[in-house]
Amino acid sequence: MKRTVDVNIPLGPIHPCFKEPVRLKCEAKGERIVGVEVELGYMKKGIERIMKGRPWQEVMFLAERVCGICSVIHNMVFIEAMEQISGISVPPRAAYLRVIANELDRMQSHLLANFSYCYTIEHETLGMYLLDLREQVMDELEHLTGARVTCAYIIPGGVRCDIPRPDAELLQTSLDRIERDLRRYSGMFADGPMIALRSRGVGILTQEAAQQAHAVGPTARASGIAADCRLNHPTYRQLGFVPVSRKDHDNYARVMVRFDEVVQSIGLIRKCLQDLPKGVIRGGGVCKAGETRYSGEAPRGELTYFIKSDEYGRIVDIQIQTPSIMNIEACCHEMILGADSIADVTSTFVSADPCVACTER
Amino acid sequence: MTILQRIKNKVRARSIHVAYVDVGSCNGCDIEVLACLAPRYDIEQYGIFVHNNPREADVLLVIGAYTPGWEEKLAMVWEKIPDPKAAVAIGNCPISGCLFNRRESFVDPPVKKHIPIAAEVPGCPPRPTEILQAILSVRDSVFANWEEEHP
Amino acid sequence: MTTYLYENDLVPQKYRILVAHRHDTLVRKIALELDIPVQELRRYLIEHLDMMLLENLPARAEMADVHADQDDPIARALGREKFTQYLQILPYAAMEPIFHEVSGRVHAGTPMEDAIAYGREKMREELRR
Repeated sequence: MKRTVDVNIPLGPIHPCFKEPVRLKCEAKGERIVGVEVELGYMKKGIERIMKGRPWQEVMFLAERVCGICSVIHNMVFIEAMEQISGISVPPRAAYLRVIANELDRMQSHLLANFSYCYTIEHETLGMYLLDLREQVMDELEHLTGARVTCAYIIPGGVRCDIPRPDAELLQTSLDRIERDLRRYSGMFADGPMIALRSRGVGILTQEAAQQAHAVGPTARASGIAADCRLNHPTYRQLGFVPVSRKDHDNYARVMVRFDEVVQSIGLIRKCLQDLPKGVIRGGGVCKAGETRYSGEAPRGELTYFIKSDEYGRIVDIQIQTPSIMNIEACCHEMILGADSIADVTSTFVSADPCVACTER
Repeated sequence: MTILQRIKNKVRARSIHVAYVDVGSCNGCDIEVLACLAPRYDIEQYGIFVHNNPREADVLLVIGAYTPGWEEKLAMVWEKIPDPKAAVAIGNCPISGCLFNRRESFVDPPVKKHIPIAAEVPGCPPRPTEILQAILSVRDSVFANWEEEHP
Repeated sequence: MTTYLYENDLVPQKYRILVAHRHDTLVRKIALELDIPVQELRRYLIEHLDMMLLENLPARAEMADVHADQDDPIARALGREKFTQYLQILPYAAMEPIFHEVSGRVHAGTPMEDAIAYGREKMREELRR
């Protein structure tokens, strides 16, 4: 759409603050942003087209590589969708181990997102603290699953490997250490006067706009919508999960929601370890034909898979709706508008935790 | 080799500025490059500094399987980097396309076709230490004897 | 003809987004609803919406089905909020006079279907402008 504006400032595709290539064309009036046009296409790999016609054993690994940051949840949602199609039940111990892996993944993703935000507002000290803390979480994830990223831990009817008693105790002590550090860092963020100047009241996403754009995850929960797919998940229900939400609508709220969720994840993992049932970790089963829609809560929000499979367990049709699609859209067309300077554009964009690899697939 | 050239070599090898460009990966390698920034790996003890600006970079980390959006643009980024320079391919994607290199996909690997690559780090994704090691080996082979080779 | 240094022609990439299974179903549904050819609607979408909005169209349409125009049956049938705020196909300023005209006709005694068909005609004119 052609419009006349004062200045058109393109940001990206290579930008010091963006982890991934995306191009924002900001239409500015003076320094105030009046419109943003997003240009994608730097990461379009056509992963859904590759998936079609392949057996689930192959698609499982492809699904993980939709997004490298939140790979565990992509694995989990795809496998649970296949289980729902085929009527495979999961042993209780495996269900708990899945939650542990998923929550560790959420912790590292949120810590990375908050690191990016601190780095973008030039608070490098806090950013480095958080990145160091993330390495500790990655260690725990590696200890549990055997790999740092793309670990393919969850398989139909169970998980790949068990957690022995000494490892569980090690995880407990590590969680104590991580929580102690985390509380200190989140306190630094919550009380920092300079951070508040850069974050409070910047990047407002009203509840109505969030609803129209179907914003999900921490972005929606910071705007007062307490929606969370974990509420519908049977294992999380057993653990008595309650979502965190805030009503500040700004960058500060989004980052604080993520901090709160990391603390909550630590609580969930502790609870899992405490009442970890005994028994087998693999129940077995056969993937069958069927069609389903299955949602799970990724670190960035609701992740939906639309799957159709045939009687040999091959994927006939698949569509993936990743949370970043909705969140980046809400961010670029609502939050950034009215930003007072270009510096606020980058920080607001990063506060929505954009993941372009998910968005374009 | 004059003493001035020796000093130049030494200084060049001790200040490596790194830029990374993602040309269509799954993000996994991206965050492993970011993890290199963590205090645990302490890359600044080797004089490596990551700030994503091609115009003052020495080493370009290329991640991903080359999507159509990067036609022309990747070559432009490569031209903007001042000499001496080196490109390092991180992960399987820029080397072979990994699992994205199938029928029906949009990618066009390897990246070697489009810009010259000095080192390759296979892995899906490689560990941060391996990425660090690759940058250090490129430093020794490209920057530490640049003056003799380009008089 | 101006040539830009960095600007690419985005039409092929936008088209790729629109022909993905879920987006294609939605575009066909909207085309049927507005009674215009699919190709024409695709071209309109490619020209007027940016890539992020195109990616998000199915999610927005889902939310529109649940939340848009809860309390006004005429607005719901016409898709007042659906096409302006949710899908952002038409500008709000263009939709408002159409809606007022249609609701005026309904209150004056015209059957609902005829009034909506008239509104759709006006919307098509707006799209083709």
